[in-house]
Amino acid sequence: MQEFLWGLTLLLVALLALIFIAVIRQAAVPAAAAVPAQTGRYRQPLFWALVIVGLAVTYGTLIPWPYSPDSRASDAPLRVNAVSEQWSWTIDRTELPLNKPIVFFVTSRDVNHGFGLYDSDRRLLTQVQAMPGYVNKVHYTFTKPGQYRVLCLEYCGLIHHDMIAELTVKP
Amino acid sequence: MASNRSISQSVRPAAGFAVRMTMALSVVVFLLMMLLGLIMRMAQGALLDISPDLFYQVMTAHGAGMVGTAGLAGAAIMWHFLNRYARPSVSVYWLFLALFLIGVVLILAGIFAGGFAGAWTFLYPLPARSGAVWSTHAAFSFIAGLLLVGVGFLLFYLDAARAIVGRYRNLSNALGWPTLFGGEQADPPPPAIVASSAVLIINTVALIVGAVILTITAVNLYVPSFGVDPLLAKNFIYFFGHVFINATIYMAVIAVYEIMPAYTGRPWKSSRLLIAGWSATLVMAMAVYPHHLFQDTVMPGWMLVMGQILSFASGIPVIVITTYALLTYLHRSGIKWDLTSALLTLGVFGWAGGVIPAIIDGMIVVNKVMHNTLWVPGHFHFYLLLGMVAMALGFAAWLVQGEKPGAAMTLSQKLAFGGFLLGGLGVVLTFLYAGKESVPRRWAVHVPEWIGPDRLGSAFAALVVVATIAIAIRYLSRCARSS
Repeated sequence: MQEFLWGLTLLLVALLALIFIAVIRQAAVPAAAAVPAQTGRYRQPLFWALVIVGLAVTYGTLIPWPYSPDSRASDAPLRVNAVSEQWSWTIDRTELPLNKPIVFFVTSRDVNHGFGLYDSDRRLLTQVQAMPGYVNKVHYTFTKPGQYRVLCLEYCGLIHHDMIAELTVKP
Repeated sequence: MASNRSISQSVRPAAGFAVRMTMALSVVVFLLMMLLGLIMRMAQGALLDISPDLFYQVMTAHGAGMVGTAGLAGAAIMWHFLNRYARPSVSVYWLFLALFLIGVVLILAGIFAGGFAGAWTFLYPLPARSGAVWSTHAAFSFIAGLLLVGVGFLLFYLDAARAIVGRYRNLSNALGWPTLFGGEQADPPPPAIVASSAVLIINTVALIVGAVILTITAVNLYVPSFGVDPLLAKNFIYFFGHVFINATIYMAVIAVYEIMPAYTGRPWKSSRLLIAGWSATLVMAMAVYPHHLFQDTVMPGWMLVMGQILSFASGIPVIVITTYALLTYLHRSGIKWDLTSALLTLGVFGWAGGVIPAIIDGMIVVNKVMHNTLWVPGHFHFYLLLGMVAMALGFAAWLVQGEKPGAAMTLSQKLAFGGFLLGGLGVVLTFLYAGKESVPRRWAVHVPEWIGPDRLGSAFAALVVVATIAIAIRYLSRCARSS
């Protein structure tokens, strides 16, 4: 997903830059009239295009509800508890099954932390906040065996960058 | 309704001096904070060896310093043009500036003397629970400094409201609502007044909310039993932080509204569209903040949905309208480019461009893999460095060229502008690239696989610093000559 988002961002920023460049190249040319009448003609189509894109993106990204468990899984999810405190994780199961839906119940004993689930290529797979006094849930199904890591993704003090836990996924 | 005519195009000498002083301070602090940013990128790229505790202190100072200075420069811009249409108090402005400076001293003392490194977001209860890294007094100094700065801003906005109401009778008129709802066509207030009115309303609310959570945090430092629900605290902090930082851009864009017509020969009028846009922003800017809380799944679902929808929708009212209008005004205007007009136009591009990766991250499914990675500083440096700071530097350039279009850019100015643009784009793209690579945000130490973009980002950041030094020297030397 990240590669697609990076490409999309570059494309849209480049498009915006090209529009600015095109206008700036024409800007020094004086026009006969104060404001060319035809410049307003793109306004309404632009507005409606943004509305339609907005509606489509909203529908496409909120349905199904992004916090729901994997709808394809028939098993009940396996519960794993993750408790954070400065500057370590306590996770009650560090060997996890392959292709079984898992729901991480994440909380904190002291300050805010972030539960960032990374694969062995250091790719962020999903995340949720670890809050004192609350339990946030995040669903994930591992489809590849191997080593995974939990990195702290919410700044929590001096050793924030070293707050790492290891998980192993086995068939 | 009161006329939109300015009281005077030339600002009162006392007010003009105050604004020039503020911009001098802003330009110098921007530069110092950029150096702190460069230090952090070099440390992450293993080009500079600093301890994690110093890194996080620098990070805290960089964040608080940049947000505060963006607010200060934005306020100076808003106040400068407010003086064209109303009579805000010069004494209150100096009081605002004095509180700001006292606050800065307390913030710096808390960080560099006391070792406070809780980030500018002071996420409760971190200030009180540092793991014995910093003292309670250090945290209090930082929190008290932020409170004083906030009180100064509150006085600034209240006085701005008094001045606007004095001229336009009430804020409804100043927001242009008779034109929007009553069909009254004649003489809506100018965009500077519409924008100032919207900003002072949303930021007054934000500052009060910010003051509440800062006060609770300060008391909690010494009386741990006096606490607040951490999720409520998080909501307060992100509401305050989101509105305040966005307001810095909303204030800076007033410079575009007021200055660009001098270049294009086309007055920037308060159309019904512009008025409607600012009115919509009034609501959206305050309601969109739950997009900072997508990873708190205990939040009510409707708030998270609202956060996503408004992340997209809030881009339309002001950003699209302003960008579209600027391009329309520029088109075949016969403009003669100088440093001011180039920086202001860049500012609008940076604002609009930065919103693209921000909106993308404002979707829950994306946020799951981008939140708190370097994607986030990627998008906010886009609209703050290339947006807000570019507008502020453009305004500063305008002040010292006699508030009229200047001569064509010299070679050194072209190099400075080009360096700022190229360096800024490089800083932003290396952050975004690292975010795409899942590199966490706010990590003092990076693994070897991550340091390539850090090093490239450091080079671009150094270019921004050099370019900003050139722009700052021009401003400060001309300021010194004129005074």
